[in-house]
Amino acid sequence: MCIGIPGKILDATEGSLRMGRVAFGEVIKQVSLALVPEAQVGEYVLVHAGTAIQVLDEAAAQEVLDLLEELAESMEDRP
Amino acid sequence: MARSIKIDPITRLEGHGKIEIFLDDDGGVTDCYFQIPELRGFERFVEGRPIEELPRIVTRICGVCPASHHMASAKAVDGCFGNEVAPLAHKLREMYYQAHYIHSHIAHFYALAAPDFVCGPDCEPATRNILGVVAKVGLEIGGRVIKARAMAQEIQTILGGRSTHVVWCLPGGVSKGLSKEELERIKPMANELYDFSLFSLQLFKDVVLANPGYVDLILNGPYTLNVHNMGLVDANNAPNFYNGQVRVVDYEGKEIHRYHAHEYTQYVAEHVEPWTYLKFPYLKQRGWKGFTEGIDSSLYCATPLSRLNVADRMATPKAQEAFEEMFGILNQKPCRALLAQHWARLVEMVQNAESLLDFCADPEITGPEFRVVPQRITGEGFGIVEAMRGTLTHHYTCDEKGICTSANLIVGTTNNNAPIQMVTKKVAQTFIKPGVEVTEGVLNRVEMAFRAFDPCYSCATHTLPGQMPLEAHIHQGGQLVKTLKQNL
Repeated sequence: MCIGIPGKILDATEGSLRMGRVAFGEVIKQVSLALVPEAQVGEYVLVHAGTAIQVLDEAAAQEVLDLLEELAESMEDRP
Repeated sequence: MARSIKIDPITRLEGHGKIEIFLDDDGGVTDCYFQIPELRGFERFVEGRPIEELPRIVTRICGVCPASHHMASAKAVDGCFGNEVAPLAHKLREMYYQAHYIHSHIAHFYALAAPDFVCGPDCEPATRNILGVVAKVGLEIGGRVIKARAMAQEIQTILGGRSTHVVWCLPGGVSKGLSKEELERIKPMANELYDFSLFSLQLFKDVVLANPGYVDLILNGPYTLNVHNMGLVDANNAPNFYNGQVRVVDYEGKEIHRYHAHEYTQYVAEHVEPWTYLKFPYLKQRGWKGFTEGIDSSLYCATPLSRLNVADRMATPKAQEAFEEMFGILNQKPCRALLAQHWARLVEMVQNAESLLDFCADPEITGPEFRVVPQRITGEGFGIVEAMRGTLTHHYTCDEKGICTSANLIVGTTNNNAPIQMVTKKVAQTFIKPGVEVTEGVLNRVEMAFRAFDPCYSCATHTLPGQMPLEAHIHQGGQLVKTLKQNL
């Protein structure tokens, strides 16, 4: 099963191949921001194969994070 | 004092791939296991929820190809409500899906396919040209790529009402139709996407095919597998991403199966191995025969290339030209060279763009009958679409109140789990030879095999090509003799 976890952009370098550090919870990854020039530091993005493919507003990102939390909890007491 | 322990689900889902390589006494590879973190429990998570909520939930969990899950889920939910669907809704959903495909394929070709070929010393001649593509994408073509993606996104927003986490498909149809004004906004964008799809195909030909070293890498590298092909086709055996029947064709071109979504349990089963949570789908009627290639194998790929391999033709004229040209140059149909995926993706994109234009020209597309309100609950539904990463199946059951009692999903990447294992082993066997020192370069080559499938594993999702955290354990004579780490 694939997952699209929203990550929060911590910083971004400008240039032709725009990169940035993105936080997925406690995990921080270097991500290409080349496809989402509109994405700003502090915003959430969906990432596939290290490339941000979509900007999410905070409410949409929170919906996903809440659902993942619920999913994690539902797995706690199951083998 | 009370203490609360919080387990961060994201940290838990993040992880790294592990490869266990077993050598014989002489140093040759006998076995190779590729283990990756996997999200489990989703199917049980949705049990007990109102069945009509599922198309909305799946898009939030599977954010990489949300429209694929939304569509497959909607079709399965339609089935749970007696499968009475407004014909216009199917058209609108399919129109939406073309735009989604274009949106996704642009990202993969321009952002992901190019770096894939940068790995490995074998492909140095090709690498230089691919790096040229990357540089061009960044400097000159980049703006056009970003604009085309934005237009594909905008078309989805116009049709579906919002850009992310679409809530548009409902049992029996969609929640909003397409107005004439909205259609007029879509038309020029669809035209530009058509031009862009041809431009991308030409770019591939100019930069990649012009290099014989690159064509040689595609056709003659170790990245080939003799397993079968799966994809959705229409009545003429042309690819259809939203509708149609599943067709399975062996690697010599002979049809093995052709079936409707509701028959999938007769044709596909999932094998479980003790060393991984991943399941391995296989052709049920042939039985599980292990991770084996060959004409009697029960394994198949479900990828862009497989979809063209199972098709006799494309559904639209320009795509047909591109299809003929591709198989002519590959001089092989079905084609078994996994790295030809990237070309196949571009041929598909041409069909997506032409289909989008056809829907724009359909006089019924702005009609008012976009939903039939379901009157009965029949309790079981099946939805199959072609996700960009492979045939996607959703199968639900519900009780008489419409509460979900079971869900089974076979997601795109899952279809390819066994082939990914096998190509991993093949690459390991090719590059790990007696007397040759095993280096980190092996991991790069393994990752290149893996990336051809564009899989959605949690370890792969957040990681740039070439930076995937991988750990390889080399075993010999019952002992762990070497550990290699990449990006850990």
